[in-house]
Amino acid sequence: MDNPILAAVNQTLQASSRVIEAIPGSDIVINYIKNSYQNDPFRVVLELGLAVFAVKYMLSKKYRIDPSHIKLTEKEIDELVAEWQPEPLVQPLSDIQRMELEKTQVIAGHQGPRPKMLSSGKNLLNLASTNYLGYINNEDIKEKAIETLHNYGLGSCGPPGFYGTLDVHINLEKDIARFLGTEKAIIYSQNFSTISSVIAAFLKRGDIIVADDGCNFAIQKGTQISRSNIKWFKHNDMADLERVLESIKKESSTSKKRPLTRRFIVTEGLFQNFGDIAPLDKIMELKEKYKYRVILDECNSFGILGKNGRGLTEVFNISPKRVDMIIGSMATALSGTGGFCAGSKEVVEHQRLSGQAFVFSASMPAMLAVCASEAIKILETPEKGNKLLKDMVDNAATFRNVVVSAPQAIEVSSDVGSPILHLRFPKNALSAAGITTRDEEKYLLQEIVDEVAVKDGLLITRAKYVENQELFLPRPSIRISISATHARKDVEKAAQAVKASFVKAISKRK
Amino acid sequence: MTLASMYKTDYVQTLDQHSQTNLNSSWVNDKGAWMTNVIIVCLIKFFFGIVPGMSPELAWTMTTLTYNVGSYIMLHAVTGVPFEFTQGAYDGITLWEQIDGGVQFTATRKYLTTVPIVLFLLSTHYTHYAPFAFSINLVVTVINLIAKLPVMHQVRFFDINQKVESD
Repeated sequence: MDNPILAAVNQTLQASSRVIEAIPGSDIVINYIKNSYQNDPFRVVLELGLAVFAVKYMLSKKYRIDPSHIKLTEKEIDELVAEWQPEPLVQPLSDIQRMELEKTQVIAGHQGPRPKMLSSGKNLLNLASTNYLGYINNEDIKEKAIETLHNYGLGSCGPPGFYGTLDVHINLEKDIARFLGTEKAIIYSQNFSTISSVIAAFLKRGDIIVADDGCNFAIQKGTQISRSNIKWFKHNDMADLERVLESIKKESSTSKKRPLTRRFIVTEGLFQNFGDIAPLDKIMELKEKYKYRVILDECNSFGILGKNGRGLTEVFNISPKRVDMIIGSMATALSGTGGFCAGSKEVVEHQRLSGQAFVFSASMPAMLAVCASEAIKILETPEKGNKLLKDMVDNAATFRNVVVSAPQAIEVSSDVGSPILHLRFPKNALSAAGITTRDEEKYLLQEIVDEVAVKDGLLITRAKYVENQELFLPRPSIRISISATHARKDVEKAAQAVKASFVKAISKRK
Repeated sequence: MTLASMYKTDYVQTLDQHSQTNLNSSWVNDKGAWMTNVIIVCLIKFFFGIVPGMSPELAWTMTTLTYNVGSYIMLHAVTGVPFEFTQGAYDGITLWEQIDGGVQFTATRKYLTTVPIVLFLLSTHYTHYAPFAFSINLVVTVINLIAKLPVMHQVRFFDINQKVESD
């Protein structure tokens, strides 16, 4: 019996086979399939599976893996756009910001130990600029600078690696290396970016930094951009440092596979936020014991501490070749600009390509390089250099002796011999006076700053911080920078005035 | 607090990776690279064909073997990038995972998955489906394909290329 369905199916198959044969190249494909069967159905299934997989793969849409990628529908985008309100380009100032803006002193004329103020026209004694050895007003350096300006012009036309290196830069690097006693040095044109660049040039993800938690903002940013693991130890607490090093050693001995990582201890010579000195001898002991490298940030101790101004290594009589990297600054004691990193030849040469601020920033102007070189030469001649250092230390001691005699009103966190003095209110005095917030403390300190400017002719300043980014925000303070060129009498008078102002401010609130 | 401490470290790593073009992996998108891939397969077959005493079937099998093993080493075994401006943002990440910044099923990935499949089909055809050759081809191609699946993104077996966890 002729089933009509069967007949229909037969006809469809015949028609489709005629169509397939008409397609050009179909006989190759049919031949291939006939060949490939080869009496092995299992293999054919496998190959078919592969072909299906390939087709499915080709037809898949692309998508992102990371979970933080949010896809919004058109409607959601429209809603968000409709309800968006533009914020003002500049936020209105808060009270304390307005106060800071109004009370910032502006110097008319040039910087020096007794600059003239724009607002009042008076000359105030400058205890705010970091002019520790008085080089800002040094006549020899000024003459040299003018001569260099006539020879080299002002700018240096480019980054150091690309037409920006002059002979004066190379001379400055040699001078620094010779003065410090290291093999070589490399200079950067900005002090803040020096330490960040050095840390980022030698450290990356997976490395370990053990840093003092009193370190300044530049070091914190450097450790953050290096993306390494940072462990903080309590400020200048060597027992805590040992505990941290021990815990890292224990962790790494128990983890199954630890690749070779770099380990560094980062600390400052003279702390910018506290004015005290790091115990370098104990740090070197721990470094040798646990096999770490040391980065020593001597921005505030190079040219300042030590008998000849060579920094912390001279104070503790440690060979500077034992410290792996010594970072220093020409912008503080030497009254030039920029910073340097001194170390072995390999350390310095690596930074010529990997130090981001060296490669991507313009080099410093020739006259500032010459000023720094001259400043180092003055430090190297014993009669002039030692005298300046001695004057600075004596002035600092004078000031410090006066202000520590009022411990109920002033807390001095600096060590003896440091030209940076941080003066803070003691915590119990603050709570007795009913001051609880940081802003109130800042207002009170600003009263002192204003009063001594008007009454005693002193230019002092509060220490300023980027408060929402500091990891360990220091308490508000007044930072005094002692200069060697101030007369002893002036320093003593200034200290008495500051002390009286502190006492008055804190007792007035009681 | 800083941005880095607000988000997980993975976010910072993604930021670092996308801040500059990854020159180690951007070349695979060039047409020249695709063409070179095919030419290399042809060259491998040619050189195996020249070797005296090697039958064509063996030559095809060796081609498939060489191509799959070579591309596995290049794409799935070697990690990181040869230059150092990203503070190690690509440590422990293979070239396959770096392509197109981790986006799956892009054109390059589809192409690189197709080539071993086509090579496998050709190779089995020209070896006349001998079982030994077939099994070698199959195993090598399947390992290569499994490594390219999106489910295997950043998956590591037996601590090979294992990323060290941060403390």
